[in-house]
Amino acid sequence: MGNIVVFAGGFGSGKSEVALNYAMQKAEASKGVILADLDLVNPYFASRDVRAKLEKAGIRLVAPEGQLSFGDVPSIPGEIIGLIRQDNEMVIDLAGDEVGSVVLGYLSRYVVARETYDFFLVLNPYRPFAQDLESVMLLKRRLEGVANLKFTGIVSNPNLLGETSPDLIRDGHEMIVGFAEALDIPVSYLTIEEKFYSELFPDYGEKLQVIDLYLKPDWL
Amino acid sequence: MKKVLMKGNEAIAEGALTAGCIAFFGYPITPSSEIAEYMARKFPLLGGTFVQAESELAAISMVYGGASTGFRVMTATSGPGISLKSEGISFLAEAELPCLIVNISRGGPGLGGIQPAQSDYWQATRGGGHGDFQIIVLAPSSVQEMLDFAMEAFDLADKYRIPVMVMAEGTLGQMMEPVIPREKVTQFIGKPWAINGCKDRKPNIVNTLHLSPEFLEERNHVLGDKYKVIKANEQRAETYWTEDADLVVVAFGLMSRIVKKAVMEVRKRGHKVGLIRPITLWPFPVEHIKKAAETAKMFLSVEISMGQMVDDVRLAVNGKAPVEFYGRIGMIPSPEEIADQIIKLAEREGF
Repeated sequence: MGNIVVFAGGFGSGKSEVALNYAMQKAEASKGVILADLDLVNPYFASRDVRAKLEKAGIRLVAPEGQLSFGDVPSIPGEIIGLIRQDNEMVIDLAGDEVGSVVLGYLSRYVVARETYDFFLVLNPYRPFAQDLESVMLLKRRLEGVANLKFTGIVSNPNLLGETSPDLIRDGHEMIVGFAEALDIPVSYLTIEEKFYSELFPDYGEKLQVIDLYLKPDWL
Repeated sequence: MKKVLMKGNEAIAEGALTAGCIAFFGYPITPSSEIAEYMARKFPLLGGTFVQAESELAAISMVYGGASTGFRVMTATSGPGISLKSEGISFLAEAELPCLIVNISRGGPGLGGIQPAQSDYWQATRGGGHGDFQIIVLAPSSVQEMLDFAMEAFDLADKYRIPVMVMAEGTLGQMMEPVIPREKVTQFIGKPWAINGCKDRKPNIVNTLHLSPEFLEERNHVLGDKYKVIKANEQRAETYWTEDADLVVVAFGLMSRIVKKAVMEVRKRGHKVGLIRPITLWPFPVEHIKKAAETAKMFLSVEISMGQMVDDVRLAVNGKAPVEFYGRIGMIPSPEEIADQIIKLAEREGF
């Protein structure tokens, strides 16, 4: 049976970019990858913005469609439960904070019924409310509480967008490793842009996961 | 200080806190809600006051009450919320109460949509409420400026005893950029008019009802004179390549950044184009436009609206050159789209 991977985190932690990239990379190896955009909090900068690119890669995007994609009323695609119960490669992108993860509380019993699943906490220590252990513990507790699911791994996503540097990644990742130890959750990936790969590979090796920024507008 | 990756809405809230804001009164609305959420998370830790009011009308009246005490207070909403708050803003203007009002604007009219727009320009600069009044309106164009202008807004508000609005498109509220936090403000100017306990002095009264026609007129002159001083002292704009420009594009907010890219591109292709970015929408930077109108042959106002600021550009140009308009609603035109428009105009006019 295929895997199901769920990404949660604080607002603006990079969940959507990480989920998009995960789905794109998965689609290179397997057919029938599904990306569910369950960001029902706010449709600005959501994975549905790149629907065409995903479809070209053979990924089925499950997200509010047409006019609803601009709605700020919570709407969950009706087929989501059916899809989770089928055998497929599925990636779920939740909205930020506990208000975003609350939708998983409704779906988690179907997620745990699958043979394997991953529930990742995406952290960027350069974001507000993710800069100290106390805040991160509170975030973890709240997300797991509403989702009714325990995290299986942390995605370390330290960045300042265009002002990211290798040293900034190293410093940020070190903070996240500290948080991860205290939370007793393994760091599964360190996500970076391709341009930093060769410099960081000697130190982090297979932990590195290269991501492209799909949601960044071209005028930025 | 260390840089933080912030959403525009978070930056404006952080800027307000850094400026010493001690209370937020509001009612959430997309795309502004993260401001309220940020305040709701921060104030319990900092000892300030966060109130989600029962309505926008209640929220702006709470701002009136809070500002009367002389402390720095604020509200934030989107265009529909400003419509509801307009009565209260008129009261704040007449009572000369300094405060920060944020509009993270979306497309209208009516409920419209939650996509970014600049179509609240008239509402902001013509005073959405009743009576002869103005408020200062600042238009940031980056997430850093969201933080900086929130601080600046409180200073201007205190200096002139006037409500100050920071107005930004929904996209600027939602997008993220690295921001340099600033030192917390701890020194404030004295507010001898504030209602903060009248032991050993006569009571202060904050009121906007003036039954005597003579006094009402006098009050309007007081406000009018103040607005003249603000117009003379506070016009702000950025200008790029206007010295030799045949065509000067005028754009504010996030739109000005996109237009700047377009203008740079068109310059490379040999057309003499410049840009004026109004930072204060009121007072409108008339002097910057006037100066450019001495040499420019044409102006183009680019807005995410059906054409609102273009009125002010025409008033400032005062017939010295034709003023054209290009706009979209609910979506942000790309630099290429703007560049095409500029080139079309330049070729038509032979610039």
